[in-house]
Amino acid sequence: KRVKEESIISEEEAAQYDRQIRLWGLDAQKRLRGSRVLLVGLRGLGAEVAKNLILAGVKGLTLLDHEQVTEESCRAQFLIPVTAQGQNRAQASLERAQYLNPMVEVKADTDRVETKPDKFFLQFEAVCLTGCSRDLMVRVDQLCAQHNIKVFCGDVFGYHGYMFSDLGQEHNYVEEKPKVVKPKTDESNDGPEAKKPKVDPNETTMIKKTASFCSLKVALEVDWTNEKAKSSLKRTPVDYFLLHVLLKFRTDKGRDPHPESFEADATLLRQIRDDVLEAMGLSSELLPHDFVSYCFSEMAPVCAVVGGVLGQEVVKALSQRDAPHKNFFFFDGMKGSGVVDYFGPK
Amino acid sequence: MVQLVGSLRKELADSLSACRVLVVGAGGIGCELLKNLVLTGFKNIEVIDLDIIDVSNLNRQFLFQKKHVGKSKAQVAKESVLQFCPTANITAYHDSIMNPEYNVEFFRNFMLVMNALDNRAARNHVNRMCLAADIPLIESGTAGYLGQVTVIKKGLTECYECQPKPTQKTFPGCTIRNTPSEPIHCIVWAKYLFNQLFGEEDADQEVSPDTADPELSWNPADTEARATASDQDGDIKRVSTKDWARSTGYDAVKLFNKLFKDDIQYLLTMDKLWKKRKAPLPLDWLEIQKLACPQEVTGTGLKDQQVLGVAGYSQLFSRSVETLRSMLADKGDGAELVWDKDDPPAMDFVTAAANLRMHIFSMNMKSRFDIKSMAGNIIPAIATTNAVIAGLIVLEALKILSGDVEQCRTIFLNKQPNPRKKLLVPCALDPPSANCYVCASKPEVTVKLNVHNTLVLALQDKILKEKFGMVAPDVQIEDGKGTILISSEEGETEANNSKFLSDFGIRHGSRLQVDDFLQDYTLLVNVIHCEDLEKDVEFEVVGDAPDKAPTPPSAQEDKNVANGNKDSAEPSTSSKAPAEQDDVLIVDSDEEEPSSSTMDVRMESGGHKRKLHDAETGEASAKRQRLDQPLAADEEDDDIIALD
Repeated sequence: KRVKEESIISEEEAAQYDRQIRLWGLDAQKRLRGSRVLLVGLRGLGAEVAKNLILAGVKGLTLLDHEQVTEESCRAQFLIPVTAQGQNRAQASLERAQYLNPMVEVKADTDRVETKPDKFFLQFEAVCLTGCSRDLMVRVDQLCAQHNIKVFCGDVFGYHGYMFSDLGQEHNYVEEKPKVVKPKTDESNDGPEAKKPKVDPNETTMIKKTASFCSLKVALEVDWTNEKAKSSLKRTPVDYFLLHVLLKFRTDKGRDPHPESFEADATLLRQIRDDVLEAMGLSSELLPHDFVSYCFSEMAPVCAVVGGVLGQEVVKALSQRDAPHKNFFFFDGMKGSGVVDYFGPK
Repeated sequence: MVQLVGSLRKELADSLSACRVLVVGAGGIGCELLKNLVLTGFKNIEVIDLDIIDVSNLNRQFLFQKKHVGKSKAQVAKESVLQFCPTANITAYHDSIMNPEYNVEFFRNFMLVMNALDNRAARNHVNRMCLAADIPLIESGTAGYLGQVTVIKKGLTECYECQPKPTQKTFPGCTIRNTPSEPIHCIVWAKYLFNQLFGEEDADQEVSPDTADPELSWNPADTEARATASDQDGDIKRVSTKDWARSTGYDAVKLFNKLFKDDIQYLLTMDKLWKKRKAPLPLDWLEIQKLACPQEVTGTGLKDQQVLGVAGYSQLFSRSVETLRSMLADKGDGAELVWDKDDPPAMDFVTAAANLRMHIFSMNMKSRFDIKSMAGNIIPAIATTNAVIAGLIVLEALKILSGDVEQCRTIFLNKQPNPRKKLLVPCALDPPSANCYVCASKPEVTVKLNVHNTLVLALQDKILKEKFGMVAPDVQIEDGKGTILISSEEGETEANNSKFLSDFGIRHGSRLQVDDFLQDYTLLVNVIHCEDLEKDVEFEVVGDAPDKAPTPPSAQEDKNVANGNKDSAEPSTSSKAPAEQDDVLIVDSDEEEPSSSTMDVRMESGGHKRKLHDAETGEASAKRQRLDQPLAADEEDDDIIALD
């Protein structure tokens, strides 16, 4: 699906986007300008992604969330005013989101994403799912991939966060590389060495590339029972398995682990860990006993980190510039480590 | 039973509500940081920034809207944060952190200081204040897609100044004046020209042909002769550029012909320069007017991204000279203009002058857009990089407040994952450097200079303030009499400024005790008298790498920490500032290369060298060596980068 580029950038846009145009170029900015994005979920992570995409200057951003604002969600997120309790979360976020950049069409949609017909998604160039169940994410990913819509998923659980992307089987992009030019030096027997001028060391060239992505379903259903997979386990981020546990919790309980029910939730998490890892043919030691302590609630700084990486991946994909991270990013806020890894068929 | 408040243990959550923290800077990182702090539960926050809001900030400094342009960043940031967190207790200061009001006592009010700065001078200063107050400091920086966070704790870690940082690249005078070979040389020349014509004239910013160019002669006597000859010719050397321009009423055509024809023809007489180089081609105003044809405007790029022809830039030169001339006249007698990249005629002037010179020297001309980047030292910036870094800052803050400072790390944000799949790379913090000229117990440096032609004023401004980061130095000569050379009290030692160091008996081997009472910092300066420093070099600090050339890979240990693009702490948008701006960062590259271990007593086995990239030039500047931390037996070596 080709993004329509409007060829004229207004002076207002040029002034406002100046510092980012100088980074990713005018073409990229134009493509962003022609893109509509759907963002599902306006909790901490969702708000960060919304901010990042609105500031980047996409054409439109639809905020989709059926939940209501609670006292807790006021503190969790910077778009919702403290007076908005009882309102729909997307609705409540709309005004401050729009203020971030009046040049972007920001909309709020209060429906449940499960109730949206297939054709709803087709109006977007990219879809970003936060706070969604595994089944829902798999379904939406499958649908969007068929229509060449870029799909992103992300969540934050306490100190941990992840991001997944499916940019389709054939995602084309460009990379800017510096032109390597060597200045010529002549042997001189009279006076100091001289260089020939005219060589501009800052010239670059654009290289076209393609990347291929697998579906979320396939990425989550990697087989760990064969020998090859087992040997790669040591280099595999443990967060991948943590993600499975947390998604299962979400499916079973219809919510994420909550500090108010810490004891019960912690026990359930450990149980799920045992079940999930056993089903994969792996030892439950893979996730140490204390893993439960660090995955409750959305930590604001972790939302900022994951939202930043996720936001930038959306920008890259829409602008078709720079190599996308393939296909997971895991952030461990305790260690400060952020890892990109691929799960899926070779 | 663990009591959680959100994700945090109750004790930690409580201490967050109680403690006071200071955020220095309310720009790209600052806005994101303030948001993260209040959402995490910090209640008492003070934020300081001397700058005002500009439209180019709005792509990332999300606490500001268009209607706030021109207002104080610190003030508006506070107001915006209160919108979503009315219970936060925020104090905003529209001021410079280097103001003596913010003394050690002020800093002691805080449990933690977090920098969100864009210039090295302020970073140096805050570093010293936090050392003096013994308060932990979280330092950070971003540039484009890259970013970095680190923690500084007195006695435990390196301070910001433990590792020498490369200073801003400068070019030799003869390159600027006689033999430019890159666009940047022409741009620097054009900025100098602006100052010579309309701004503050500076002896270090000459634009006329340099007859003392070392290339011109093997024989110093020849150079001498030529210099005298030109004086006798009564040409450029005797009359200042500004006086000459004034005498012609800033006539654009006369100016054009002098700079781009006459001076070039003069350069051509210095034939040694052109034996191995392509000779410059002088321009003639009238000839160019004949060539003038209407410029095709191509539709796809920004207006500023068009590259005009010689005729176009000649016209632009003429127009901008006229505009600047009248601006100068409007300001009255003895007025001076300050170059500002956001001032259209000033930017036009540099664009035109630089391009004309590039054309003369057979370089491809550049668009206003590109020239603005180079002339204005613009660092591209986006919201997401700042968002990530600000998130990391708060996570480090939580470790410090939990009493887990040994868990703190330096964390690098790369553009692409490294070979170990890491996009965010945590590294162990280094211990303080034993001979750091700031945080060592009795810091000392040795400076090479010529005591006979170094002014006291130059010692104060160029060496103590600019190079050694002091704000208000007091200098005593260790001559047994305790002679006071420089006093930070205004007016006290002003009479000394125009004298030479040797006038005070300072000679080879002299020692100066330098105090900055604001920074609670004492530095002993050993003087080495030297008469053959390189041309254009006023002093050298022994132990420093040379500034100009990119340092050879093997030569240097260099710390990659956020520094800043500006050497001064002036705000980007202040009317007095050289409008250079934004965060710059020296970060690790994406590649880790294994290499053989080197001779370094601090090193333990098993590490790799990392290449540094200068964010501005993109060149690998030096290799950095790091300490490998001993690991606990069962600990995953995942968060520590082992280096040879």
